[in-house]
This record gives sequence, structure tokens and C-alpha cells, in this order.
Amino acid sequence: MAIKRTTKKKSRSAAEVRDLVSAYKRMLSVRVAQEELVKLYLEKKIFSMVHFYIGQEAVAVGVCDALRKSDKVMGNHRSHGHYLAKGGSFRTLVCELLGRANGSAHGKGGSMHMIAKGANFVGSTPLLGSVAPIAAGVAFEQKYSGRDSITAAFYGDGASEEGVVYETYNLAALYKLPLLLVVENNFLSINSKIKDRRSARYSLKTIVEGFGLRYERADGNDYDDVHAKARELAEYIRTRQAPAVLECTVYRHMAHSTPLTEETYREEDKLENRLANDALKRKFDQLVTAGYSEKKLFAMKEAMRTSVLQDIEFAQKSPFPSKKELFTDMYFRQ
Amino acid sequence: MTERIIKYADAIKEAGDQLLASDPRVFVLGLGVPQGAGGTTTGLHQKYPTRVLDTPTSEASLTGLAVGAAISGLRPIVHHDRVEFSLLAADQMFTQAAKWNYMFGGGNPVPLTVRIVIGRQWGNGPQHSQAFYSMFGSVRGLKVVIPSTPRMAKGLLIAAVRDPNPVIMLEPRWLYGTKQSVPTAMYEEPLSRARVVRKGRDITVVAYGDGLLAALEACTLIGKDVSVELIDLVSINPLDIGTIQKSVRKTGRLLTIDTTSEAFGVGSEVIAGVMKKLPLKQTPVSLAAPDVPCPTSTALTEFWYPTKVDVALMILRMLGKPAIKHKLSFAELHLAPSYLHTV
Repeated sequence: MAIKRTTKKKSRSAAEVRDLVSAYKRMLSVRVAQEELVKLYLEKKIFSMVHFYIGQEAVAVGVCDALRKSDKVMGNHRSHGHYLAKGGSFRTLVCELLGRANGSAHGKGGSMHMIAKGANFVGSTPLLGSVAPIAAGVAFEQKYSGRDSITAAFYGDGASEEGVVYETYNLAALYKLPLLLVVENNFLSINSKIKDRRSARYSLKTIVEGFGLRYERADGNDYDDVHAKARELAEYIRTRQAPAVLECTVYRHMAHSTPLTEETYREEDKLENRLANDALKRKFDQLVTAGYSEKKLFAMKEAMRTSVLQDIEFAQKSPFPSKKELFTDMYFRQ
Repeated sequence: MTERIIKYADAIKEAGDQLLASDPRVFVLGLGVPQGAGGTTTGLHQKYPTRVLDTPTSEASLTGLAVGAAISGLRPIVHHDRVEFSLLAADQMFTQAAKWNYMFGGGNPVPLTVRIVIGRQWGNGPQHSQAFYSMFGSVRGLKVVIPSTPRMAKGLLIAAVRDPNPVIMLEPRWLYGTKQSVPTAMYEEPLSRARVVRKGRDITVVAYGDGLLAALEACTLIGKDVSVELIDLVSINPLDIGTIQKSVRKTGRLLTIDTTSEAFGVGSEVIAGVMKKLPLKQTPVSLAAPDVPCPTSTALTEFWYPTKVDVALMILRMLGKPAIKHKLSFAELHLAPSYLHTV
């Protein structure tokens, strides 16, 4: 990546630089993990339908950084980023993607069914808008039991066109639930463009506010913007016991469910625009501008890659579930 | 144990009341629930104002909310007043709740109960009286029960709410006014087990819901001439084929009763399950409604629902006995029963 140096370095405090590094590092860990998963996928090692999150890291990391450990998070079909950002283990994830017995769902779920309950990542469920009311129910329990925690759910612009999501806006406002709905608007529902799916006068802000929820919009390619708005909304939701929607406009770098970057259906979100606005590139540039060593940043990335590769190697050596596992866990038994 | 005669709807209300009183994790939600839901929740909102909740007319999201609450440890009871409306929440029941534990590799209980009123009601026609039993039976990961009597209704609801899995309780509206002596205390009926309600030697009759009522009345019409073993299916998911096989091994004859169309029905599934394992003395028979939608006019529904006379005549025919004569009154044909159950 060519770095354009600015002549005057912006001076930042040590604490600011530490925060910058931390944000960059957290996004980078999601990116590097997925870059290696792409390779594995192309080598035909992954027999689990994968929706890559590359390009959208600032949303998952920015929102999760604004939450407390006790807050709960839910995701969708494209949720590697949400799972990792909330503290899920990459090693368990890659075991799951490779269909191994020690995966997060013991090989029964795969990429679309991420779960890390220990980290309060409640689960990802890939039927688009379905996650919205389930997350409302998770928030309902928090309110019902008098907890101080909130629930955040991630879904996309496609999902947000499903009827159940509009229903959930009303239900969440009616029951005053501590719920943050994060709409990751990458302008694509599979390959269908937003302008072909919505009337020219469609306004999510108007819709959401009309249902009585607070609405904010953030640049999903910018960690700082996502993080600041998510923090503000989390505080609002926690103190006011009222739901809110955060819409993040963001670029999906790859195709819907394959690690391709083919461009035929892209319009504004062309490769050069995606790269120019990439959240990781922005943070990298900020760090370098603040005087942080470029060499150190590259070394950081390579250290992460080494760790990711170790986890992949571990997964590849892990056992597959036995045939009898086919018949276990249809019902929960105490 | 103290008992008294109460109606089916009151038995459900009593179970709900006792569950709310004994477990703070239990709450009830659904459209019209604070107003009584056909008598099944009357007075509960006044007693538990924050736990018996009205909802928007939004079947999918209110069911989804219950799924989310259940995976978080609460014990929601959802009420849908018609099965047709519950299908707006099909994704939440069939794809979310039913798959949750399996798709995450176990360790993820979903203690959700969905009460759905189903089937027959005079004057309600093709879109308000369907009985999609087999659809619910075909979904892996759900438990699906059909209470045929007030005693079963109370015991099954208590068992459903205490079970760590999603349980759908399909309540035939036709039975809401039927009565039975029901224990005042809390008790459970097993969720996944058929029950032999009448022992016999000559023929096994398998029925559920309002079909069981028709079969019970048919036995009364026939009298002591034929020894009928009558099985209440209770659960259609999973299907307890073992109990039926045991009976058919003895009788060698099988008749199934459905109060909905025959195609892809519960009766067909029961017959297939038995025939795969056992030789029969006689070709089994499925008595069901014809394969057309249920109409509205009483002049037509008269020929749609299998009646107690249809069941009696079929049993007698299968056993080579002479037919009986019984002229059904308008009330017997078209009005919901207030039958006093003894089994």
C-alpha cells in the first residue's frame, strides 16, 4: 500500500496514539483473519458458505468498542467481524469453518452460525431481518431482569427491507427496550442495488423516527465516526431505556458470498473508491501522520498473520465430528 | 388430589396462572391476551400486569421477541389466536427457535411455548379454520402437542413451559367448551408420548384433538359390540409410533382420524410408520376431510368434517359388523360441543 506522507505531522498525545493503535489493531486482526480465510476458501478447504466481512471492519469494531463486556451482541450471515470484535476466538471460528468437532458450534453451524456466549456474542442467524426481533427479546430480558446491559444487533440494508424489521421498530419503541439496531448499509442486497429496491423518497431516518426510535448515521468506513456515534447511542439507550438505530454506510469489498472482487454490478463502490475510503487505510495513515513507525505497523500485521496461521494449522489438525453427532442436540437435554 | 369439573379454556388459564405464580421467568404475550384470549388468559393481566402483555398485531416480531427472551433464560408463552396468523411467524418458529440448539452444536436451550388455536369453528371458512397439523409435525427441532381434553391441556401446558425446548401447543378451538374433572394442583402430562385412552382387542383407532372426541362418541354409538383400542396421539412431533405399533400388534387393524384434509396428513404418517414395521390383518384406513379447502356454509361443512357417525360406520365396516343408524342433529353437526370427558 502506497502511503502518501503529509509534510506536517499532527501532534497527538501518547494516550491518543495508544487509542489509535488499539483501534487499528482490533480492525486489523479482523482483516488479517479474513484474508487468510479467503486463501483457505480459494484452496477449497472450507465447505461452509462464507460471506466475507472485508471492508466493513470499522462497523463491528467501532460499535463493539463502544459497548461494555456485559452488553450482548447478535449478528447475521456476514458476522465473522461481529464475533471477533465482541471477543470470540479466531481459533474456534476457523475450526467451525472447517467443520471440526471443536468449532464454536461443533461443526453443525458453520460460518453463518457464529456464537461465543462467554463473550456475550449471543449468536448470528442468517435469515436477514429475523435477528431484529430476537435481539429485541434479548433486550427484553435485560429490561425484565433489571440489568444494566444493552443489546446490539447487526444487519444489512437488504434485511432492513423485510417486514419483521419494521415490526421490530414499533415493538422495541412500545416496550422501551435497551436495543441498538445497527444497519450496515453496503448498498447491495446480494447484487441488487439500493436504487433498484427503494423508492427515490425512501428515508430510513424518517421511518425510524416515525416509529419513535432515535436515529443516527455514521460513515461506516471511518472507525472514529462509528465509534463516537455508537458510544453516544449506547449511553442514550442505557440511561433512557429506549431503542435506537445506527445506520453505517460502508463498502463491501468482496462479492456477496465468494471472495471475489469482480466489479460488473458495482457503480459508485468501485475498487478505487473502496480502497481510498478503506477504514484500515485511514487509520494507518492517521498513525503514520502522528509519527507512529510504519515498520512497527507492518510488523504488527505480520505477527497477527503468524498467529492466524497457527490457528488455521491447529484447525486443520483437529478432528471431525463423529457420525453419531448427526443425531445429537436436536433437543436440549438437561 | 382435589379435582373439579372445568372447561378446556379454564384449564389452560389455570395452568398459566399457576405457572406465572410459581416461576418469575414466565411471561405471556400475544394480541388480546390481557382481554382474555378466548377465556384462556382472563384476569391474568390484572393479577400480573407487567407479565401478561398485549402486543402490536405483528406476529413475526412478537414471536421473535419471545425467542430472544427464551434464549436469554425467560420462559415466554406466546398466544396466536388463529393458526393462519401464526404462519406469519413461521420463520421464527420453524427456522429460528426449532434450529437454535442444533445449529449451535447444543448447549443452547430455547424454553419457548407457543400456544396456537387451530381448526374448526362454525362459519369461518377457507382462511379462518385451517388445521395445519402436519406442517408443524414436519419441522425438526420442535415439540408439537395437541391437547384433546381439559386435563391434557393443563398438564401439557405446564410440561411445555418447563421444557427447555420450543414447544408448540396446537389447541383445537372446537374443544374450548368441553369439560372434565381436572386436578387443582400443578401437574405435568408427558409431551412426547401417545396415550391409550380406551383398551380394546379388535381395532386400533388413532386420533387427536377434535378427532379424538368424534372417536370417543363413535365408541358410545357402537356400544359393547366391538372392542376398540383408542389412542390419543397427543404429540405429532415427535410421533410416538411405538405406542401405536404395540396396539396394532395386538389388534391387527388400524384406523386413523384427521379433522383436516387427508393429503400429507397425520393419518398418512401414522399408517406409514406402522406399516413399515408390522403386517396387518386388513388394509388400514384413514378417515379425513376431503382434499379441498374447508368451506363456510353449513350445507357444505356437513360433508367436510368426519363425524362420530362416519367414525362408527367405518369401524363397523372394517370389522364386518352391521351398520348403525343415527341421524345427526344440527347442533351435533355444527355447534361446538360441551362434552364431559372422562378420559
